[in-house]
Amino acid sequence: MARDSAAGTESGRPRSRAPWPFFRFLGRRLVALVVLAIGITFVAFVLTQLVPGDPALSALGPVTSADPEAVAAYHEHWGMDKPLPVQYGTYLWNLVQGDLGVSQLSHQPVLDDLRHTIPATMELAFLSIAFAIAVGVPLGVIAAVRQNRASDHALRVVSLAGISMPTFWLALLALYVFFFRLDWFPGGGRLDPGTTPPGEITGLYTVDAVLHGQFSLAWDALHHLILPALVLAAFNVSLITRYTRSAILEVIHDDYVRAARAKGLPERTVVIRHVLRAALPSVITVIGLVFANVLTGAVLVENIFAWPGIGQYAYQASLELDLPAIMGVSLFVAVVYVTVNFVVDVLYGVIDPRLRLT
Amino acid sequence: MHRTAHVPRLALAALVAVALAVVAVVASVAPAAGDKTAAEGTLVVDTSFVVQTIDPQRMFEPTSQIAVKGMYDTLVTFRGQSTTPLPWLARSWKVSKDAKTFTFTLRRDVKFSDGTPLTSADVLFSYNRVINLKGSPSFLLAGVKVSAPSKYTVVLRSSTPNPALLRIVPNPSLGIVNSKVVKANGGTDAVGADKTDKAEPYLLGHSAGSGPYVLKSYNNKTEIVLEANPGFWGPKPTFQTIVIRNLPAATQLLNVQRGTNEVALDLSAQQAATLRGKSNLKVITNASANLFNIDINTDPKISEVAANPHIQTAIRYALDYPSFVKLSGPGAVQAPGMIPTTFIGHLPPSAKIKRNLQKAKAEVRASGISNPKITMYYPAELTINGISFATLAQKTKSNLAEVGIQVDLVGKPVNSFLETYAAGKHPMSQSYWGPDYPDPNDYLVFTPGGLAANRVNWAASKDPKLAALAKKAQRTVSDTQRAALFRQIGRMMNQRAPFFPLFQPAQAIVSSGNLTNAVLGVIWPLDVRAVGTR
Repeated sequence: MARDSAAGTESGRPRSRAPWPFFRFLGRRLVALVVLAIGITFVAFVLTQLVPGDPALSALGPVTSADPEAVAAYHEHWGMDKPLPVQYGTYLWNLVQGDLGVSQLSHQPVLDDLRHTIPATMELAFLSIAFAIAVGVPLGVIAAVRQNRASDHALRVVSLAGISMPTFWLALLALYVFFFRLDWFPGGGRLDPGTTPPGEITGLYTVDAVLHGQFSLAWDALHHLILPALVLAAFNVSLITRYTRSAILEVIHDDYVRAARAKGLPERTVVIRHVLRAALPSVITVIGLVFANVLTGAVLVENIFAWPGIGQYAYQASLELDLPAIMGVSLFVAVVYVTVNFVVDVLYGVIDPRLRLT
Repeated sequence: MHRTAHVPRLALAALVAVALAVVAVVASVAPAAGDKTAAEGTLVVDTSFVVQTIDPQRMFEPTSQIAVKGMYDTLVTFRGQSTTPLPWLARSWKVSKDAKTFTFTLRRDVKFSDGTPLTSADVLFSYNRVINLKGSPSFLLAGVKVSAPSKYTVVLRSSTPNPALLRIVPNPSLGIVNSKVVKANGGTDAVGADKTDKAEPYLLGHSAGSGPYVLKSYNNKTEIVLEANPGFWGPKPTFQTIVIRNLPAATQLLNVQRGTNEVALDLSAQQAATLRGKSNLKVITNASANLFNIDINTDPKISEVAANPHIQTAIRYALDYPSFVKLSGPGAVQAPGMIPTTFIGHLPPSAKIKRNLQKAKAEVRASGISNPKITMYYPAELTINGISFATLAQKTKSNLAEVGIQVDLVGKPVNSFLETYAAGKHPMSQSYWGPDYPDPNDYLVFTPGGLAANRVNWAASKDPKLAALAKKAQRTVSDTQRAALFRQIGRMMNQRAPFFPLFQPAQAIVSSGNLTNAVLGVIWPLDVRAVGTR
């Protein structure tokens, strides 16, 4: 993927040609995404079929499901009466046309379900990750710069606690303290009960409310967002702190850092522009991982805070063997992973010129 | 090094300052969260959502029932926890002596929320749509033909005597929809509606009923909001707005303590017990009509051990029933038979099976099977009324070990469990039954040849006497005679049926202290139209 940028000048090519390799790289990633998406749908489809169990039985209830006619009608309605290759082929054909099918659980198009659940999780994830980076990176720097001193020890203990604490427990504890005891934050949901959400533009309530000029609604949405986002961030703050600390310790005693100090540069400049920049690729890699943590951690946090996101949707879909919903969620997760990896790869080049694409 | 320490200290101080500032701003600017959970005139119902749809003729889930019950009227209704049918849309009815023909006379002053008068044509459409959609609630009208001989008369004709029908009709799935509106939006009641009816998307966004509430918004993951129907034909409801909100039990426990005009529906009896004595709350716990039981297969091809009558009797007397009741907490009761104590025909407490380890051990010896071993299946992740099936299965295993029966436990996801269970392939199952309608006829499924009996391969031919008695009970019209027959059946079942009734779990409802009539219904979890304030 990466090669020394000096190669561009060695081969005599002008630097203005640099975007083409980038587009080739982008093209390769897009092709990989399509292949991955098809693979994901295939694996999800096969796995769902391998699980013994008929969704009709729980959907229809014990009495109606004993009526073969009702079960047959259910199978026909959801296309489950057709041979498996036909079912899969139909799914792919509909997928190409942007139709992800209808959820057996919600009786609504999966695309509509995802359109509502993804922004809910994304709103939570964005704030959570932003908080995790904003707090985790500086704390990691502090811990590294003050290695083996009291503040370093304290931060290491705190970050170990953050990583070790079960998210669901932390969520309940946060709710108990900040909602029930102190009454600082609401007790769940995206808005106060009965509040009409802002007109949908992005699906992010805070953003949509601001765009519509409904500032009290934006505040209501933000007020509901803060506590679950902080709970979700706890693990990742600790993770980023630890990784940033070790990444900085790897480079902080290097010759070029000493040279920078010897040149008389202020310590802040040395730490931020030389040490932190060199350590950032490792940190960026971890931040990529943080996305995965947020998606998995969101299942529990969303449940406790009654947050209608993709985590809850995926959990319910799996329990009920809701195939269209499972496939839709799997595709979304695949797209997120590929996109995050892509962004991380691009950021490597931005941060470290030695890693630029050829 | 002096500067080295200086920069991080500044950064640390800045971080702390920012964090404190954010918290301070949030705490000072935000109104008290508890004050906002229920605006004046709003009732907030907290529940863990079990909802697939709010199309009345397709739905059969508890959360849907709360919403649909608020928006749609039924011919007959129940009040509170009573199971006595009361007039509602039907001001009177007649039942033929053979319990096959039910003639309802409708009120003439009922209007849908759009002002259209409700007539027998709407009842005909709604009932036929239930039947022909072949959805979850269609079994309620199995074998029933509906006709509308006049504008305000509806006749239901059942192919077999159906004395339970008057207790089936109050089910919210049999709520009456505005036929003109539903037809205009793709609905049909014709044969083949399961393929041709397209009205569900409309009914997920709008209501088409005559009830005291209309649908304001529906989100099957967050909340369902109902608003008072200004043209409601009956007594005005207390609350202008109803918010049914999706919250897990742990969060409900905190919310109901902070809220006003708030109801929590899913707290376990133990959780509810922690709230007793709080002056701002009303806590009600009692026995649910749900029934936890153990089923054992009578087919030797599935398991020779399970099918052995001595082993079955041994299990019956080896189970420690009071300790099962204790698991569920205050309010739970041991089920005296397969019919819950809330319905006519249930057995008196004196008929409860009592543990007798000596007798159980003697039966194991009499079976002639050394070291008997049975596999028991249970739905692994399922929890009902706060009770995990996994816990019950462990308890069963340890009880039976005391009399020398080894139980191998197999937990399966619900769907997988149901598939093999329905096929009659489980030697033994940790099972459960919730009432579909509050009538003992719903429990005939456990008699030989019934739906649940077939799952343990207990055909009518295996106990013809009991099967004949069940048939007689099904056709009997008089409630007094039915009660006597069902008690007779219950006593016989307690001696020889392959079902062991364990307990009716405790159920709890916690509400703000100022609310009235916030009680758990027998069929629907809560009747929001009845909830008022002091």
